[in-house]
Amino acid sequence: MAMISESMTSDERVWAAVRLERSDRTPVIPTLLPEPAAGLAGVSQAEVANDNAAAISATFRVFDDYGGWDNIYPGAYIPSQLQAAGVFPMKMKIPGRNLADDIPYQLDEVEIMKLEDYDKIADQGFERFFLDDYFGRLSDMTPEEFQKEKNDMFMGGALFLGECQKRDIKPFFLSNMLHPFFKLSLMRSMVPFTQDLFYEPEPVLRALRRMTDDAIPKVLEMAKGTGISISMITEERASGFFYSPKFFERFWWPYTVEIVEACWSEGIVSLFHLDTCFDKNMSYFRQLPRGSAILELDSTTDIFAAKEVLRDHLCLKGDVPAALLATGTPEEVESYCKRLISEVGGDGGFILGTGCSVPPNARPENFRAMIETGKQYQPG
Amino acid sequence: MLQKLTTAIVELDRDAVPALVTQRLEAGDDPLEILGDCRTGMTMVGERFQEGEYFLGELLVSAELFKQAVELLDPHLVDGEGDKSAGVIVLATMRGDIHDLGKNIFATLLRAHSFEVHDLGVNIEPTQLVDEVQQIKPDFVGFSSLITTSFDSTRQAIEMLEDKGLRAGLKLMLGGGVTTPGLAKHLGVDFQTLDAASGVTYCLEKAAAAEA
Repeated sequence: MAMISESMTSDERVWAAVRLERSDRTPVIPTLLPEPAAGLAGVSQAEVANDNAAAISATFRVFDDYGGWDNIYPGAYIPSQLQAAGVFPMKMKIPGRNLADDIPYQLDEVEIMKLEDYDKIADQGFERFFLDDYFGRLSDMTPEEFQKEKNDMFMGGALFLGECQKRDIKPFFLSNMLHPFFKLSLMRSMVPFTQDLFYEPEPVLRALRRMTDDAIPKVLEMAKGTGISISMITEERASGFFYSPKFFERFWWPYTVEIVEACWSEGIVSLFHLDTCFDKNMSYFRQLPRGSAILELDSTTDIFAAKEVLRDHLCLKGDVPAALLATGTPEEVESYCKRLISEVGGDGGFILGTGCSVPPNARPENFRAMIETGKQYQPG
Repeated sequence: MLQKLTTAIVELDRDAVPALVTQRLEAGDDPLEILGDCRTGMTMVGERFQEGEYFLGELLVSAELFKQAVELLDPHLVDGEGDKSAGVIVLATMRGDIHDLGKNIFATLLRAHSFEVHDLGVNIEPTQLVDEVQQIKPDFVGFSSLITTSFDSTRQAIEMLEDKGLRAGLKLMLGGGVTTPGLAKHLGVDFQTLDAASGVTYCLEKAAAAEA
């Protein structure tokens, strides 16, 4: 492939895509978290799961070894910090602690939250409920250990930003949240949460109301504080794969619109990390203001069909499948990336990324094929 | 005409299902007949899912209602009494992956359709799976996978099944969010799906074909 002559900075390229404008080439941003970085850098999962410096070092080693890309995912964490910060309010299996050293950390979903807790959240707010009540059920960390996790996460963030500055690149985003719906589903666990949606909708709605009201000022403050006008919202369980449009309209969409519109009124773009198939929900996103969101799809949603629905309205990001990166060939990866760039990126509004994250066992030659195709392929 | 119990399952009526099961047991109805009515309800839920009227949420809720009904019926059912198995299946999430939500849903739906399910759990070593297959002699083996780190152990298990001459006559299935048709081809399994209900349909079709 011939090299493209670049006439934009990485940031200009990314923001052109977000604003649905054409750029000199397709921006490339793989979701490279510490777990796949460990795989590609030849470091054990136990190392990156227990040491911020190791996680950050692996991430930037991969960034450098593969020639870099446009913006970088903020992967400065270790899993226990995500738990302490309430990012993933769940039990965890962590390599080097309660999982073999070569297996990536995983969330261990059990029913911790009870039906009566919805109203505690509605009354007290999520933050207070999490700290004063829920966390004791989740973990046996002492208050000192809890504080240390949070401090270390902050220090990890500073180290990560320092590495970005050395390379003159920007994190894709720093402000992030789980959608309140997804958070409740994880805490309650999927089956009881689903039963609640059917049989106890009112307490669920009261908790969603309070969590949304609390989340909006927090997200605005975080995004403004970081100086990066993209804020991530993760949702893996609200799609038409799980629930009917009736449920989507009642429990997810109104709160989503409120968050996006509040952010957009301050110039902040919402980046949706959407796992599972959202094919049946895609048309709802046309109701959002033009350019106010990016949809990051995980390859189970048909990104080509999504483009038809959202062309010239919202930027799409995705979706090289994890299974393809783990078991395919470089030729297959290249071919899929070219199709994405031509069909989804042809008229702008597209960022080449991975379907969910780069898998921890991605083949190095496949990951390289993705990055290089993204940076070098120009459709005719 | 449909039994009230069947309708209660289909309509996801969480009060009526246990009440009707208890009422019919007290009235001296045959527990197997009551179970059959519950299964008819689950079949109809599956049909509504296939038609797009129901979603995974309805499947989950109906499966919980079915489990509740079976718990009430269990003490009244004599082991092996006339409840013919539709087939035997071994399920596992292989080494490298500890997720089990999808697998558990699949197991419940299979049981609702009279399959004998041996759920080995999560993070299963290939040798353990092969030992269990050797012992249980199932018709199907279902591999569940939410992250790619279980692919290697799944491949190893399949190779070991082949090496030990256990692969012939066995239907291998692969399910879970990260699986794709390309992966199914790569691993050499017979069937791949993202949704539990179509997995049940596959098992029913293969079981019926084997019967014919």
